[in-house]
Amino acid sequence: MKKNANNKISPVTASRGNGRKIKNDVIFIAALLILAALAALALFVFRSEGDFVTVTVNGQLYGEYSLSENRRVEINQGENYNILVIEDGYASIETASCPDGICSSHRPVKHGGESIICLPNKVVIEVHSASNGAPDIIA
Amino acid sequence: MKRTFKTSVLLLALMLVLCACLPSCAPATEKFSAYSLEFFDTATTITGYETSKERFDQISGEVLALLEEYHRLFTIYNRYEGMENLCTVNELKNGVHRVVKVDRKIIDLLLYAKEMYTLTGGKVNIAMGSVLSIWHDYRTAGLDDPFNAELPPKELLDEAAKHTDINNLIIDEKNSTVFISDPKMTLDVGAVAKGYAVEMAAQYLKEKGYLTYIVNVGGNVRAVENKPKGESWTAGIENPGIESDQTYLRYLQISDLSVVTSGSYQRYYTVNGIDYHHIIDPVTLYPAQGYLSVSVVCRHSGMGDALSTALFCMTYEDGLALVESLEDVDALWVFPNGEQKTSSKFGKYEK
Repeated sequence: MKKNANNKISPVTASRGNGRKIKNDVIFIAALLILAALAALALFVFRSEGDFVTVTVNGQLYGEYSLSENRRVEINQGENYNILVIEDGYASIETASCPDGICSSHRPVKHGGESIICLPNKVVIEVHSASNGAPDIIA
Repeated sequence: MKRTFKTSVLLLALMLVLCACLPSCAPATEKFSAYSLEFFDTATTITGYETSKERFDQISGEVLALLEEYHRLFTIYNRYEGMENLCTVNELKNGVHRVVKVDRKIIDLLLYAKEMYTLTGGKVNIAMGSVLSIWHDYRTAGLDDPFNAELPPKELLDEAAKHTDINNLIIDEKNSTVFISDPKMTLDVGAVAKGYAVEMAAQYLKEKGYLTYIVNVGGNVRAVENKPKGESWTAGIENPGIESDQTYLRYLQISDLSVVTSGSYQRYYTVNGIDYHHIIDPVTLYPAQGYLSVSVVCRHSGMGDALSTALFCMTYEDGLALVESLEDVDALWVFPNGEQKTSSKFGKYEK
């Protein structure tokens, strides 16, 4: 439609070359737009994948678990253990072998940046979240 | 006419593509974090915005190394081969303390701690090691064997409290030596050393010009200085009522500032169903009862650490008077019934 309109208005001699150029431009722009849309979509899908916790033991990654799936994880290291429970989007330590019990009495966590730390067992549970509104740091 | 129209459409489309792409594909800096569980008996987090992971690892590594050095100098629980620290300063030889030549960093900490003693009217007293070590031993034993957990006898605490005169801590700046003239007195820098070390780490970052960092050692937070583009950091004040569904009591916007929280919910042990936490009132010699937590906002993290401990051991009226007498210091008190009170200018940090 547009191409026809252009051809009618443009001088006959110049119409072919100009028309092709414009056509190429349109294809180029369309391709770029589609590419950008795809990139944005991919990013959106990736981001909305959901919040998850990482478990590290002694600084080493032990596992990654989605908060959208209820489960029970035994974090075992020889004699020491921490039982991680994920329920209704919250992660908490049900019980642990450490003497102080700071980890098991910690409030269940769900927001990005929140963590449960067991110093005696060197276990860190950290929530990762893509959603905005979480503070940068907790005091 | 037609050409210009087409060109502008093309330019507009290009701009749209760029706009869609810029925030996602080409960030100038990225947020990184580094952790350690090795220092000051708590968790350390360094967070910063950098152009590359390599650069962040380099800088956070320097900060962690510095914190480790301070930890080794300031700890009273460990001694290290070939090095004097506060643990060796506390030790007796032939029944008396030695005159110990120490690193300048220890001298500076002890001088700062004496300043905090004056500022807080003695509520922060690093000469209380004898009293605090009794609590430390009873707490450790009670955690190891909860069924037989006990409180320290009052007589034991009273006897120890006779040996807490900070004037018996003799600091010789010129010769860089420390001497405790009372053989029964020991140092415990727990109420100020962590915050002081965090402040030293912050000063290091500033000197190097690394200004998009935030350091957190066990709830002792120091922002240096902002996030990229001058945006302030958001610090959430943890709700000490752990039964509550609300994780954060307040959100504070901080730029080049410290936020330090002292809480009774962090470290405690249980005797006959009652929780006894670790902040010991120097007057009663028992855990201070007035609050669930006290948070302090100010620049110097060592001051924030000392003040949050001091306020925890003071009535709200006395604490408020102290805070209001200091410039650029603000505080939030959380009472056992959940009630919150703030100093008059606290609101300026909130969203």
